[in-house]
Amino acid sequence: MTREALYERLNAVFQDVFDDEDITVNDATTSADIEDWDSLEHINLVSAVEKEFGVKFTMGQVVTMKNVGEMVDIILAAIG
Amino acid sequence: MSITSFAFLCCYAVLLLLYYVVPKKMQWGLLLIASIGYFLTAGELWLILYPIAAIIIVYCGALYIDRVKEQKKRKTALSLIVVFCLLVLAVLKYCNFGVYTYNALASKLHFTSNYLKEFSFLVPLGISFYTLALLGYVYDVYYEISKPQRNFLKFALFGLYFPVIISGPIVRYRDVENQLYEKHTFDYKQVTFGLQRILWGFFKKLVIAERMAVVVNTVYGEYAVYPGVYIVLATICFAFQLYADFSGGIDIVIGISETFGIKVTENFNTPFFSRSMQEFWRRWHITLGGWLKDYLFYPLLRTRMIAALQEMAKNKFGKKAGKRIATYTAMFVLWFAVGMWHGGSWKFIVGSGLLHWCYIVLGELLEPVWDKLRTSLKVKKENKLFCFFQQTRTFLLVCSGFLFFRSNSLTSACEMYKSVFTTWNPEVLWNGSVLALGLDAVELTIAIVSLLILLVVSVLQQKKSVRERLANKNIVVRWIALYALLFYVILFGYYGPGYSATEFIYQGF
Repeated sequence: MTREALYERLNAVFQDVFDDEDITVNDATTSADIEDWDSLEHINLVSAVEKEFGVKFTMGQVVTMKNVGEMVDIILAAIG
Repeated sequence: MSITSFAFLCCYAVLLLLYYVVPKKMQWGLLLIASIGYFLTAGELWLILYPIAAIIIVYCGALYIDRVKEQKKRKTALSLIVVFCLLVLAVLKYCNFGVYTYNALASKLHFTSNYLKEFSFLVPLGISFYTLALLGYVYDVYYEISKPQRNFLKFALFGLYFPVIISGPIVRYRDVENQLYEKHTFDYKQVTFGLQRILWGFFKKLVIAERMAVVVNTVYGEYAVYPGVYIVLATICFAFQLYADFSGGIDIVIGISETFGIKVTENFNTPFFSRSMQEFWRRWHITLGGWLKDYLFYPLLRTRMIAALQEMAKNKFGKKAGKRIATYTAMFVLWFAVGMWHGGSWKFIVGSGLLHWCYIVLGELLEPVWDKLRTSLKVKKENKLFCFFQQTRTFLLVCSGFLFFRSNSLTSACEMYKSVFTTWNPEVLWNGSVLALGLDAVELTIAIVSLLILLVVSVLQQKKSVRERLANKNIVVRWIALYALLFYVILFGYYGPGYSATEFIYQGF
C-alpha cells in the first residue's frame, strides 16, 4: 500500500473517531492539532486504527508515538 | 535531614563544589554516594535495605526481560517484579488501611467485637516515588522503549537519586538516563538558574506555605469552634498551602538537580489557572498523572475486559455511549488508584480520587448543556470573564477535594461539609475574626503580598520563563531582584512558635 492510499483510509478513521468530517491528517499532525485528541481518545483512536489496518501496536509504540507520521510508519512496516 | 535545613544546605554546597572539582567521570559516582548518604541520614540506617532490595530485583528482572525472547517468560518476570514492588508498598503503607476499614465495618455492622490491631512499620523515605520510578523503568524495558542499564551502580543512582526521592517528581529512566551518567562541565547560567529556582522554592515553602498552615491548622484542629465560612476560608488557604509546599519542594529539587546539569521533568504548570478538572490534572502533579496514564490507564483500556465492555455497551446504547461507558469504567480504576497513592485512607480515595472522577465524568456529560447555555447567553469561549469564571469554578471544585485531603478522616470531612452548608457566618470576613486564626494583621499582610507575588510570577511565567527575563536584564536589576527575594525569604520566612522546617506534606508519600 502506498503512503497516500494509507492516508486516505487513515483520514476516514480520524473523521469517524473524532466525529469531524473536515479532519485531514499528515505526517506532522499531532494531538495538539485536533481539539478532542486527548489521552482518552488516543486509545480509542489506536484501537480504531488497529481494526482498520489489521495491525497491533505495542504499548511502547502507543505511549511514545509523537505524530501521525510515526503511526503511518509503524502501519506500513507491519502490513508491508 | 530536611532539604530546608541549614545542615542540608551546607552539605549541598560542599557537594556542588566537589561535583565540579572531581574528574568528570566520577560525577555520577559522587551523586550515588551523596544519595546513599542522604538516605542514611533520613531515618533508621537499615531502612535503606528496602530501596536496595527493590533496585536489585528490578535491575536483575529488567536484564532478564531484555535477554529472553519468549513473551510468556517476559510477562511472568514483569508480573513477579510488579507484584513484589507493590506488595512491599502495600504492606508498609496500606496495611492499616485494611485494618481501619475492617474495624469501621465491624463497628457499624456489629458482626464482631474482635477488632484488629494496627500495625506499626517504619516506612523508608520516598517509597511511593522510588517504587513508581523503578516500575516505570521495568515497564519501559518490557515495552522495549528503553534498553536496560547494565551497570548496577549506575542503576542504583537512578533508584536513589537524592533530590527526587524526597517528594518527586517521579522520574522516567528514559528522560534522565543520559543526563545522570554523562560528564557535566560547569555552566554558570545553568548553576545560577538552578540556585534561583531553589530560592523560589524556599519562598513558596517558608513564606507562603508555613504561613497558610497556621490558619489551616487552627480551623481544621477545632472545626467545631470555627464553623461555616471559617472552614471555607481555611480550605482555600490549604489549597495555597499545599500548592506552595508541594511545588516549592519540587522547585528546590529541580533547582538542585539543575545545578548538577540534570534536568528532571516539571511537576506543575500553574495548575490553579486551569479551566477544567481535566486541565487541572494535566498541570498538577504532572509526573504522577503521566505515570498512571502510561502504565495503568492505557494498558487497562487495552484489556479484553474493557474492550468487551465497550462492545457490549456499544451494541446496547450506541457507539458514543459505549465508548464512554468503557472509558469511565477505566477512569474509575484510575482515580481510585490516584486516591490510594495519596495514602491508605478513605479520605484520600474520596477527596483526591473518586470525587475528581465524578467531576470529570459529570463535566463531560454536561458539556453540551453548558455549551448550549453559553451560546444562548452569547458568551464566547475565549471571553476573558468567562475564562475567569471557569478558572474560579475549577479552583473551588479542587478545594472541595482538598477539604477531604486535609481533614482527619472521612467522618470529620463530612461533619465539616455539614457545618459549611448549615452555618451562615460571612460576617467573620470583616469583623476581625480572621485575625484570631493565628496570623495578626502584619502576618496576614505578608501572606497576601506574598500570594500576589506568586500570582504575578505565575502569570509572567505562562508567557516566558521568568528566569530568562531576569537574565536579559542588566546586572543591577538582576542582583537587586535576587537579593530582594533572598532577604524577603530570610526576613519573612515563617518560623512560628515551635516551628521546624523539617517536613513537606508530600514527603510522607
